[in-house]
Amino acid sequence: MFNFDWLSGVSQETAKMIFLSLYALIGFLVLLLPTEYVYQGIAKEDRHWWNNLKLWSIAVLSILASIYNHF
Amino acid sequence: MLAGIDYFIVIAYIIGMLLLGLYFKKFVNSSEDYFLGGKSLPFWAIGMSIVVSDIGALDFVGVSGQAYRYGISVGNFDWVGSVPAMLLAAFIFIPYFWRGGMYTIPEYLGRRYNQKVRTIASVTWILFFALDLGVLFWASAVLLNVLMGWPIWISIVATAGVVGLYTYFGGITAVIMTDVVQFVIMFIGGFALVFLSLYEVGGWDNMVDKIATMGPEYRNHFDIIQPQDTKSPFPWTGILFGLTFVMANAYMIGNQSIVQRCLTAKNEWHAKASMIFGSALKMFIPILVLFPGLMAVVVHPGLADGDQALPMMIKSILPPGLVGLMFAAFFAGLMSSVDSLLNSTATLFTKDIYEPFIKKGADDKHYLKVGQITTLVLLLIGVATSPISSDFPGIYVAIQTFMSYFQGPIFAILLLGIFWKRTTEWGGLSALVIGIGFAVYLNVFKEQFFTIEDPFLYISWWSFLLGFIINVVVSLLTKKHTEEQLKGLVFSSKILVENKKL
Repeated sequence: MFNFDWLSGVSQETAKMIFLSLYALIGFLVLLLPTEYVYQGIAKEDRHWWNNLKLWSIAVLSILASIYNHF
Repeated sequence: MLAGIDYFIVIAYIIGMLLLGLYFKKFVNSSEDYFLGGKSLPFWAIGMSIVVSDIGALDFVGVSGQAYRYGISVGNFDWVGSVPAMLLAAFIFIPYFWRGGMYTIPEYLGRRYNQKVRTIASVTWILFFALDLGVLFWASAVLLNVLMGWPIWISIVATAGVVGLYTYFGGITAVIMTDVVQFVIMFIGGFALVFLSLYEVGGWDNMVDKIATMGPEYRNHFDIIQPQDTKSPFPWTGILFGLTFVMANAYMIGNQSIVQRCLTAKNEWHAKASMIFGSALKMFIPILVLFPGLMAVVVHPGLADGDQALPMMIKSILPPGLVGLMFAAFFAGLMSSVDSLLNSTATLFTKDIYEPFIKKGADDKHYLKVGQITTLVLLLIGVATSPISSDFPGIYVAIQTFMSYFQGPIFAILLLGIFWKRTTEWGGLSALVIGIGFAVYLNVFKEQFFTIEDPFLYISWWSFLLGFIINVVVSLLTKKHTEEQLKGLVFSSKILVENKKL
């Protein structure tokens, strides 16, 4: 049990899909955050698309997913 | 061995760092300046600082060694082992800590649970950081010994002297701003080694082909996901359960030296952005620290000790001048890790131990002085304990072993503390004590329980799970906290829309 023997039947490809699904889930949850919340701390007139932290997060997750997809 | 120009680069770098660090002395007038940089720092500096303090001698030497032995799966620690956790920290935990004006993570635990939990967590981190300092000093000595033939103790004392001076005077602002320069130097030096090594092995595809023909032990060298029954320490089950779900979160959310940097941000957006920016930079780290280890498999096959892979590559690949730059890059990684540990441990001791237990209600200048003196004492402890790490076969694994004792239980109480109102002080305390005890037990008898080489990922998962269950059960059996006690300490969807009403 301590060695996760019960998951020995899961192939490496399936395991990779589990990781990719996890990134997709995190990205989905990030998109659900209210826009007001991710801009908190920046004055209304200074809020632009490039300081939208949701976009930063999605970009980072996309790169991460492409690395796992490649290797 | 270094040439004349290499010595010049290294010495210029060390003096430059010392002067830059000391420049920030003039901004330190209070304990808040010393521990939180006066809450004035921008996200880009904090993000770079988080990344560079996380890669030091351990990653340059240890990860290259692991990559030499086990292949690209070591990269999981900087990819899946950082990004998801840093996003969770950025959007959920950091805003709570930043708005609460906290100095330390145990301070949150003290407010959420009780003073005992705060003290245990703080003492545990202080012990870990002190041991960590020793490991860092030893790692530097290993490289200096191979490259320059310096005696171990001279290397250790020289490193301690330079870092100690600017950390003592400049506090966390000096730590973060020197980290920015160290980050740039590390990336330049690291990428120079990677590009020249790639040229030496005839390009990436050629390297992959050569390693594939070197025997069955290299069959999985380019699989980031390792099978469950691998003998390496990185089966995918350990990476998912132990690293992604527990150790990564415990490190990014519960590690004082990481979180304290975000608390220096000038506003809440900068605090969140620093973590996300840091996660983007983190994805480049395996290129710097892992690729040289892989290429060493081709250039220097059959090394008995994987930790020699990087020093051998530096010696055989880099021309004069770039050796000095690479050495400065290595030194940068080391210094940034050491200065963070020093400042964070001084913060933990001053805020969680000295202020509540030894001298309450003293004036601010007194606590500033205590923080500085603690920095000096820690430096001495780190130097004195450094030979301990020589008893472990892999430097990087040694540090993971130390961490796995308490990462799981601490993350369990942090997670339940912020997401579940019903968690009580007794639930948190029992989870922490029993969870740490269980982790130590699993470590001592690991041959009886685990089949992989070093099961620190599994140990962190199982100790987390036990801590989580104990916390839930004991909390349900004990008296719950009042709404007033929990104000601003437990996650509520209101945080997302009513930011001022925490």
